[in-house]
Amino acid sequence: MPEVKKLSDGVFEVIKDKKQLATRNLDPGETVYGEKLIPVEGIEYRTWDPRRSKLGAMILKKFHIPLKENSKVLYLGAASGTTVSHVSDIVSEGAVYAVEFAPRSMRDLIGLASRRKNLHPILADAGKPDSYSHLVEPVDLIFQDVAQPNQAEIAARNAIRFLKKDGHLLLSIKARSIDTAANPREIFKEEVRKLEQAFEPGFEILNAKDLVPYQEDHLGVLAKFKK
Amino acid sequence: MKINTWFGVLETGRTGEILESRLLSKDIRVLALHSLSLRDSRSDLPPERFDPKAAALECGFVASSAEYYSLLHEVTLEAAKHQVSSALTPDQRIIQAVEALDDINETTNSLSERLSEWYGGYFPESGLGGEDLALFIVKYGSRENVGSEDPLHSKARASMGAKLEPADEALLIGFAESVCSLYERRRQIEVYIENSMELIAPNLKLIAGPMLGARLISLAGSLEKLAGFPSSTIQVIGASKALFKHLRSRAPSPKHGIIYSHPLINTAPWWVRGKIARAVASKLSLAARIDFYSGERDHSLPEKLETKVLQIKTLNPRPPQKKQESGAKLKKKRRK
Ligand SMILES: C[S@@+](CC[C@H](N)C(=O)[O-])C[C@H]1O[C@@H](n2cnc3c(N)ncnc32)[C@H](O)[C@@H]1O
Repeated sequence: MPEVKKLSDGVFEVIKDKKQLATRNLDPGETVYGEKLIPVEGIEYRTWDPRRSKLGAMILKKFHIPLKENSKVLYLGAASGTTVSHVSDIVSEGAVYAVEFAPRSMRDLIGLASRRKNLHPILADAGKPDSYSHLVEPVDLIFQDVAQPNQAEIAARNAIRFLKKDGHLLLSIKARSIDTAANPREIFKEEVRKLEQAFEPGFEILNAKDLVPYQEDHLGVLAKFKK
Repeated sequence: MKINTWFGVLETGRTGEILESRLLSKDIRVLALHSLSLRDSRSDLPPERFDPKAAALECGFVASSAEYYSLLHEVTLEAAKHQVSSALTPDQRIIQAVEALDDINETTNSLSERLSEWYGGYFPESGLGGEDLALFIVKYGSRENVGSEDPLHSKARASMGAKLEPADEALLIGFAESVCSLYERRRQIEVYIENSMELIAPNLKLIAGPMLGARLISLAGSLEKLAGFPSSTIQVIGASKALFKHLRSRAPSPKHGIIYSHPLINTAPWWVRGKIARAVASKLSLAARIDFYSGERDHSLPEKLETKVLQIKTLNPRPPQKKQESGAKLKKKRRK
């Protein structure tokens, strides 16, 4: 019988041959991106590949993941839903607003969302939060993985509009997308500085770490509003 | 304060309490279309951290939070589906066809080479390649079956190729049939692109020809984007591979986009090619704009372009003077 250890609300480690990150499958019997399904005592766990998911990598790098069963999440850069599916597992009684602007990816995301009641897909540009402000409620967490040069600005705009005062921002910063030539360390520093000073009152950085060995050239950042 | 939400318009008082509400019916399609119509609206946006769920409960649009989420879920799904299906516009279909054509070309070339390599062991003197070879193999199989009416008859008899055993012959014929059908598919796609270009970009087709026009749309990403490019950009579209090389290794900056395959440019003498390319790019840009904004065909475009090209050629009948010529030679050397 595989052994299950809880890492945080909704996030588990399943030990079967080796340790694997996993969430409880909200859509039993279905896989999303070829991950494994492992039943343990009548509950189906879905393994979570940290090499294919920056959020997965952040968890293994010991980031605090501020999510509960009923959390509301705004997810920016949902792509075809690899990571979104795990967030949807975690906030089984909450809501995920998944923003993605590429129609091709949205096609896959729609397929996923039609099987998951807590997932609300939005085809829009995350840089223009006004365009979905009539749909989204105040959220506990903004997760952003857009790989865009203006990622700090996108995060700030969305936070001002949708993040609860005590909510968190979890950000994956890709060094390559900003400047191909510059040194990643310099870029990360600059992006963190932008986050701290982007607007009043600005973000307080709670944690910032690279995601090696799971992801190359990526920095994970956890932040909240400055008091 | 007036507030637009996905389920209706609210009028709120000073402390945010709802004074009045105009709610939509709980019809998913109606709600989805309403939600889409609000995407670009700049007026009556909800204030920061406005809670639409609390408002929907307060004004009685829904009776419970469960009902709110279930309606919202249906509405966002419906709206997203609507957007995705309208994203496949005619120019996007052309782009798919262009990409399919490139894939087919690549596959056809490599399979044709394989076929010729393979059959070469049995009839090396055939001198055939590509579709001709594939058709030949489908028709005869072994060279022993080539009849006397065929011009290759005597070569086939005298060939030094090995004897083709029945099992190998069956394989080769099947393989050749696949290659033939790829060539067939390629023609079908070309016709499709030609017809589609006629419908959505007739002016571009007039100036560029159907294939070059379709490739320009494909590389730009859409007809709309192409119509938005300045002609200097159109001139270098498709040079991006060369551009990356330029950035990496300081190779000469690329001037040759795919428009250099245009007959007016690639048949022109070298010393006017740049000038002619500029003239063609500017007409292409104009054509793309007319196609995107009005769609009406302007038959005078090709004629105007030809006049312009003729003018350039008449003004520059000979290569530039000696001084510049030696400069040009030097440059050429450096490029190697
Ligand atoms: C690195 S992928 C995200 C992968 C995803 N988070 C996962 O782990 O499954 C980045 C995505 O962000 C999307 N994107 C980039 N800029 C965006 C923007 N301004 N608005 C919405 N989506 C955007 C891209 O289309 C792409 O699908």
